[in-house]
Amino acid sequence: MGKKTPKIYSVELSGTKDIEKKDQGDGKEKYRGLKSNGLECKKNHQKEELKKEVDLDDHKLNNKELENKYGTDIVTGLSSARAAELLARDGDNSLSPPKETPEIIKFLKQMVGGFSILLWIGAVLCWIAYGIQYSNDKSSSLDNVYLGSVLALVVILTGCFAYYQEAKSTNIMASFSKMIPKQALVIRDAEKKIIPAEQLVVGDIVEIKGGDQIPADIRLLSTQGCRVDNSSLTGESEPQSRSCDFTHENPLETKNIAFYSTTCLEGTATGMVINTGDRTIIGQIASLASGVGNEKTPIAIEIEHFVHIVAGVAVSIGILFFIIAVSMKYHVLDSIIFFIGIIVANVPEGLLATVTVALSLTAKRMAKKNCLVKNLEAVETLGSTSIICSDKTGTLTQNRMTVAHLWFDNQIFMADTSEEHSNQMFDQSSGTWASLSRIITLCNRAEFKPGQENVPIMKRVVVGDASETALLKFSEVILGDVMEIRKRNRKVAEIPFNSTNKFQLSIHETDDASDKRFLLVMKGAPERVLEKCRTIMINGQEQPLDKNTADAFHTAYMELGGLGERVLGFCHLYLPADEFPETYSFDIDTMNFPTSNFCFVGLLSMIDPPRSTVPDAVTKCRSAGIKVIMITGDHPITAKAIAKSVGIISANSETVEDIAKRLNIALEQVNKWDAKAAVVTGMELKDMSPEQLDELIANHSEIVFARTSPQQKLIIVESCQRQDAVVAVTGDGVNDSPALKKADIGIAMGIAGSDAAKNAADMVLLDDNFASIVTGVEEGRLIFDNLKKTIAYTLTKNIAELCPFLIYITVGLPLPIGTITILFIDLGTDIIPSIALAYEKAESDIMNRKPRHKKKDRLVNKPLALYSYLHIGLMQSLGAFVVYFAIYAQEGFTPNSLINLRVEWEKDSINDLEDNYGQEWTRYQRKYLEWTGYTAFFTGIMIQQLADLLIRKTRRNSIFQQGLFRNKVIWVGLVSQIIIALILSYGLGSVTALNFTMLRPQYWFVAVPYAILIWVYDEIRKLFIRLYPGSWWDKNMYY
Amino acid sequence: MTKKDKKPFNESLAEWKLFVYNPTTGEFLGRTAKSWGLILLFYLVFYGFLAALFTFTMWVMLQTLNDEVPKYRDQIPSPGLMVFPKPFTALEYTISMSDSGSYKAYIEDLTNFLRPYDLEEQKNLTVCPDGVLFEQKGPDYHACQFPVHLLEECSGVQDPDFGYSQGKPCILVKMNRIIGLKPEGEPRIMCVAKDESAAILSTYPHDGVVDLKYFPYYGKKLHVGYLQPVVAVQPVFNSNSTKKETTVECKIDGSPNLKNQDDRDKFLGRVVFKVTVNA
Repeated sequence: MGKKTPKIYSVELSGTKDIEKKDQGDGKEKYRGLKSNGLECKKNHQKEELKKEVDLDDHKLNNKELENKYGTDIVTGLSSARAAELLARDGDNSLSPPKETPEIIKFLKQMVGGFSILLWIGAVLCWIAYGIQYSNDKSSSLDNVYLGSVLALVVILTGCFAYYQEAKSTNIMASFSKMIPKQALVIRDAEKKIIPAEQLVVGDIVEIKGGDQIPADIRLLSTQGCRVDNSSLTGESEPQSRSCDFTHENPLETKNIAFYSTTCLEGTATGMVINTGDRTIIGQIASLASGVGNEKTPIAIEIEHFVHIVAGVAVSIGILFFIIAVSMKYHVLDSIIFFIGIIVANVPEGLLATVTVALSLTAKRMAKKNCLVKNLEAVETLGSTSIICSDKTGTLTQNRMTVAHLWFDNQIFMADTSEEHSNQMFDQSSGTWASLSRIITLCNRAEFKPGQENVPIMKRVVVGDASETALLKFSEVILGDVMEIRKRNRKVAEIPFNSTNKFQLSIHETDDASDKRFLLVMKGAPERVLEKCRTIMINGQEQPLDKNTADAFHTAYMELGGLGERVLGFCHLYLPADEFPETYSFDIDTMNFPTSNFCFVGLLSMIDPPRSTVPDAVTKCRSAGIKVIMITGDHPITAKAIAKSVGIISANSETVEDIAKRLNIALEQVNKWDAKAAVVTGMELKDMSPEQLDELIANHSEIVFARTSPQQKLIIVESCQRQDAVVAVTGDGVNDSPALKKADIGIAMGIAGSDAAKNAADMVLLDDNFASIVTGVEEGRLIFDNLKKTIAYTLTKNIAELCPFLIYITVGLPLPIGTITILFIDLGTDIIPSIALAYEKAESDIMNRKPRHKKKDRLVNKPLALYSYLHIGLMQSLGAFVVYFAIYAQEGFTPNSLINLRVEWEKDSINDLEDNYGQEWTRYQRKYLEWTGYTAFFTGIMIQQLADLLIRKTRRNSIFQQGLFRNKVIWVGLVSQIIIALILSYGLGSVTALNFTMLRPQYWFVAVPYAILIWVYDEIRKLFIRLYPGSWWDKNMYY
Repeated sequence: MTKKDKKPFNESLAEWKLFVYNPTTGEFLGRTAKSWGLILLFYLVFYGFLAALFTFTMWVMLQTLNDEVPKYRDQIPSPGLMVFPKPFTALEYTISMSDSGSYKAYIEDLTNFLRPYDLEEQKNLTVCPDGVLFEQKGPDYHACQFPVHLLEECSGVQDPDFGYSQGKPCILVKMNRIIGLKPEGEPRIMCVAKDESAAILSTYPHDGVVDLKYFPYYGKKLHVGYLQPVVAVQPVFNSNSTKKETTVECKIDGSPNLKNQDDRDKFLGRVVFKVTVNA
């Protein structure tokens, strides 16, 4: 890119000095991170490596030296044999995908993650217990073996399930990395061949033409009007010209190297491949991205926190009761069995699988809205996001130059910049417009690629640079068939744009049959164009250019420039027919025609306009308490203008510079903290200490970073993260990829985004629409709330499962519920309802509250645990115990007779145990009764879980406010619970191993009063929370 | 976690101390005294209410019960069979003739068990007609006599040691009581020694007959003084055999509605026990 060659279009007015300075430093600065020390980053060595690699000197060598160095021939190219050899040595010319964790490791991680380790311990203890039993008594029952196997099976199945879910969501992404195979035109064995770009090796001679993607890092050997788009590398949307001259010491700035994955916009070039695959500059940036550590997602941290809480509770209660059991003179072996029971009762086996399902449901829903989530956990991250660092080009803007304003007849007109370009409302009746439109049409070299007649104008492919494309499309929309107009006004001579002239000029025959004069049209940098004018056209009439009109011109120019727009001036001249007859031959070298005294017609300004959905999305983010920061490689003025137009800098906020200007005082005198907004350039950022940057970000609510390098993006993200913010980064270019990776959630653009960006990101916006982020935030917050509900729902019954064990150990009742039965609740009846909660709609406008604080607003907090365990959970236990006691009492064992019955009850040799009525029971008859008790306890819990499910629909609102039937899936959950329970009791009641029996119908209703109590109690809780916000009740009861 | 782990020990200790008691806010374990008071009061009231509610629902549930007969008897449709006295080790009687300590407890148990069967004790009981069910309509229910002499050798009348001291121990086999059970046919408890050559079994009453007049049973409360019919089994070991050990299998026979074969319940209408007599 070299020194930023100012094109005719590059116009910066206000603060010119500042920008010029930056323009010079620009190239250097952009790669500061690559070249200079990587102090900021922890991965120092990697950057060092990068620095070293960039020190290539191929651009300094002449052709002969190059040939020697790479053992090739510029004319005939490599031999196929040599190429194959090199390919074998260097590998494919493609970026190696980021290192994937081997599938087996992923699988094993699922097997030991979360609660699995606890359950494994349980299973192993079961087997050990059996082993001990067996060694004492060869005929001991196999119950423990079964239990151990069931536990192991549970772990393996939930593990497989979670793995499958993960794999499914990653597979969607795999399709991305498979790109359309690229071709390259290469000279080998003195023949031109088209080969897949992957097979290129260093030393290959390749030919490139406009529209091609550069297939590797290439040292150019010959060029014709070659210009490349480096925006994916630098974020700079202006085309860079390329030649074979060595123009700069730095390989990144010299003109004779073209970089892998950038695009050749126009012209042709021949070059020698000097780097392939990961050794290319792009490859190195991509590997920098992969070097940035992947942060744990907030939801992963929350789940870990939750697992720790539950596991902590399980293990401590387990150990406590192990000690109690041992001191109550239980056998150690029995105590171990108790311990296992407590753990199984305490661990919500199905919950993690449920969470995975809930997340993938949301992911699916988001995918429908064009948000593709690569990493399942990232679904929630957007919800907790407090800062969005957004790239400008392509994310906030359409990444397409568009005519925004026109100035003629002393008036500024606004053009429609929406994506559709549908209605151009400005006044087109003036004669000046007729002239201006003619200049725009004729003085333009851009052309539509043929065969696109049916494509909407704005979507047609154009050969030519961005500005000319904009003008072409603009005139095509207004005037119709531009190519036809050009044909009618034949071009007889042309001076193409060059950087010294800063203008473009062409001479045409006109389609006006009565007027045989030639028309000379010119466009260029406004001040240059004005210099050449003597008259100005007002309302179709030529008038002398006096001081007043010149001032008007300057005001308009300043105004448009201040909007960050690229301004062009247009003028024309009818060449007198007597001097220039029809047969006159124009010579552009000798310039045998007038080059001044033109008639100035108007100005036209262009901008890469913001996407129409962005301002609304930014406002929504604001009201959701999310700070939106713009980080761009573009100029501060443009950046600020776009920031203002999309609302990143709101209409009434000022920067330090604005305040200084308004108060007419020096910059230094302004109190920095008075300014709400700040525009910071990469240069300024370079001189800041991390503390200063932190301070800056903390104290300004509206910030724009301009002229930043990939490294600086990383620094900004790190600074945000130091403030405990959850940071989302959006971007499309390779230069964004390190920041995308570093962010808590990286969001890449699906259409404009480069592969590197997509690889580094956690989420891909398929339609490149910033507004999709808002959807993501909404879904993320909703899923967080719903996961809370799911967890609260699931945790509740754990107490009802745990209490029986504790009572069994301490009071000696026959066991109220067995381990297997507990598993049937956790993995049977409870699964569908807890997933159903993921479908719950938001209780209130979740987009109007602040993002949750990473460290304060936990997924599982104290009130949630206490309310679930000690309130609802306890009620459930009581309800279930009533059913249990009812069963025993109605069969002959009254509650008081059950106390301390355990030892006799469980003794196999006692087969005449007397009940309260004098009847005697064999061991098996007792066992069967015990299973009936399990079934009863099970239904007791199930019935109350129905109520629990209903109350968990809301945390604050009454469920009537929420609507009982809005979430239909809840009803599916409720019905499924009942059906599964019915099947277990009546369908599988005869399968002994499952410990279910057929239950009399009335027992299903014993717990109903408790279910109603749960519902009423929770409604009261919610009522008080709504009535007394902030009260003691609210603080202790709202989860 | 890693960050937390790196926290110096002193710091985390100080944090804990602050958590236990924070002098500035007066917080003890994260709550002020007032807050603790409120929360304890809340739980006191809440749990008091729950306890009351639980008691109430239990009371309601108990109201559904009948003092005399359990509401349901579906779980014990058929009686189990059990031996008396209860062996020290599961269903194995090991006695040693020379060591009275090895069987003293059994004799005591048997004596106690058979005390109600004593003629003196059951003179208030009804003499029921043999061979038919003794169905009663109440409100008073009568128990039938089971004269202990039916057990002959094992009645304890002639031999207060129930044969234990002579190496031919009496073991009672009884059918579990089930309210309302009406056996059909002519039920009897049939015992077989697995190894016929080792021991000969004597069964009292003859053929192990269980008379129908003892059925149906009306429950502990109504059927005062009910005597459960028992059958005594006495293995007499062949004096020639060196190993005085036999396995006895008893089962209910002759009644179609009393099951004696169930894969899962090894005591449903049958019982297997082992007798070992040492010199």
